[in-house]
Amino acid sequence: MSTRMSRRTWLTTSVPALGGLLLTGCSRETFVPPRVRGGLIGAADVLTMSTNRLLLSGQPLAREYSRADVADPFPTWNQTNPRNPEYQRHASEGFKNWRLPITGLVARPRDFSLDEIRRLPARTQITAHICEQGWSAIGEWTGAPLQRVLEEAGGVTPTARYVVIDTFDGWYEGYDLFEVAHAQTILAYGLNGRDLPRGNGAPLRLRVERQCGYKNLKFLKSIRVVDSMAGIGKGTGGINSDFGFHWYAGV
Amino acid sequence: MGVDSASMSEARHPAAETSSTAHSYNVRICHWINVVSCVYLLWSGVHIFLDFPELYWGHTGYRGYPAAFRLADWGLSWEEAGALGDRRWGRNYHFTAAWVFLINGLVYVVWNLYASHFRNRMWPARDERTVAHVRAELRDHLRWRSHRRANDSYGTLQKTSYLILIFVFVPLMILTGIAQSPGFTAAMPTLLDMFGGRQTARTLHTIGTLALVLFVVVHVLEVAAAGFFVKVRSMITGK
Repeated sequence: MSTRMSRRTWLTTSVPALGGLLLTGCSRETFVPPRVRGGLIGAADVLTMSTNRLLLSGQPLAREYSRADVADPFPTWNQTNPRNPEYQRHASEGFKNWRLPITGLVARPRDFSLDEIRRLPARTQITAHICEQGWSAIGEWTGAPLQRVLEEAGGVTPTARYVVIDTFDGWYEGYDLFEVAHAQTILAYGLNGRDLPRGNGAPLRLRVERQCGYKNLKFLKSIRVVDSMAGIGKGTGGINSDFGFHWYAGV
Repeated sequence: MGVDSASMSEARHPAAETSSTAHSYNVRICHWINVVSCVYLLWSGVHIFLDFPELYWGHTGYRGYPAAFRLADWGLSWEEAGALGDRRWGRNYHFTAAWVFLINGLVYVVWNLYASHFRNRMWPARDERTVAHVRAELRDHLRWRSHRRANDSYGTLQKTSYLILIFVFVPLMILTGIAQSPGFTAAMPTLLDMFGGRQTARTLHTIGTLALVLFVVVHVLEVAAAGFFVKVRSMITGK
C-alpha cells in the first residue's frame, strides 16, 4: 500500500515536472549549437553545451561581487571606437537620434530610443567580464533585461528560436532563448554608475554573464528574432563561430 | 618486517629486468589514449597561455593589473608571445582533449575500481609502508636502479605517486580548469571560493601543468631506468 502511494506521488509530481521541462527549455537549441562542427571538436562542443545547460537548468545567477571589487576605469579591449560613419554621427549627437530596431519574430516589431530603454525596469549587477583570452575584470553593469525589451515588442512568436544582435563594428551573434530568458542577460547602458563609455560599447552593449567576453557584444545596432541561424553570415550562429571559435562560449 | 633484501638484490639482477608484470587491456588502452589527450592538452594549453602571457591572483586580472607572473619579464614580449600562440586552435583542441581525457579517465577509474586494480596493485602493502622500505627504495632510485620486487611490479613510491596523481592531482587540474569557465562557475559558484578566484585558478592550473610535465619527465626517466624497450612493449602488448 505504501509503495503504491509513493509511486502515485512520484508519478503525480514527476510527470508535470517533466512536462514543464519539455515546454520551457528542453528544445534542441538549448543543448546543441545551431550548427554542429564535424569530428571530435563538434562532439566536444555538444558535450560542453549540454553539460552546462543541464547544470544551469534552474537558471542560477552568475556570481555577483561587491563594489569594492570593481575595476574602475574598466579595461577596454579590441574595438573601442567603430569607424562606421553612422556610429560616429550618433556618437557626435550624444546618441540622441540612435534607435534600436527590434524586428523579425516578435508580435509588434518596433524600435527603441535610449531613453525608452532607460525607462524600463533596470537591473544593476556587479559581475566579472571573462575574456576567452584569460583576463577577467569586475564591473557594475546597469541595463534593461533583454527579455523585458522583447516583451515591450510584444514578445517572441512560437516559432522564434534565436535572438540575433548586430553591432556598429560589423559583428553579429545569435543567442538561444534560454540565454535570453536569464535574469542577468541585460542590455547595459551604464557601467560603474556612469553612462557606458564609448570604449566599452556605448550607447548599449549586451551582458551575457555566463558566457565569455566575445559573446558580450558592444555598440549595438539592431536586434532581430529568427527561427534559424542558417543563411545569416556563414550560418554557424555568430561571427565568432564563423571565425572558428566556439558558438557556445560558456567555457 | 623491513626491507626484503633478497628480492631487492634479485631486482637488481639483469635477468629480473626483463620480467614485467602484465598490464590489463584496460590499463594499456587508457594509458595511450591518456598520452594522446595529455599531449593535446599541454600543447593547446601553451597556445592559450601565449595569447595572454600573464598570471594573477584573485578574481581580477587584466593587462595593466598587478601580475604574479609576466612572460615579458622573462624575455618574450606580449607581441612575440601573441604571434606564437593561437588561442582559437588552442581553445578548440583544449576542450576537445579535455573531454577525451575526462571520459578516458572515468572509464579507467571505474573499470579498475571494479577490477580491484587500485587495491591489488596500487595500495601499498603493510610491509611497504615502513620508513626503512621507503628509504631503501629512494636510495635505489637515486642510484638509477629500479627497485622491483619479484612478483609485484610497482614500488611504494611509484604506487603512492600514482594514487596521488589519479585521485588528488588530476581532480584538482579539472577543478582549476572549470573554475575559469563562466558557465561552470555560474552553476557551481563554490569553484570560485574553493581556489579564491578565477585568476588564482588559472595560475594554479598553470603551475599544475608544470608539475605534471615534471611528473612525466620523472616517469619516462624511471621507465628508461627499468629498461625502456621492455617497459614500453609491456604497456603496448601486455607481455
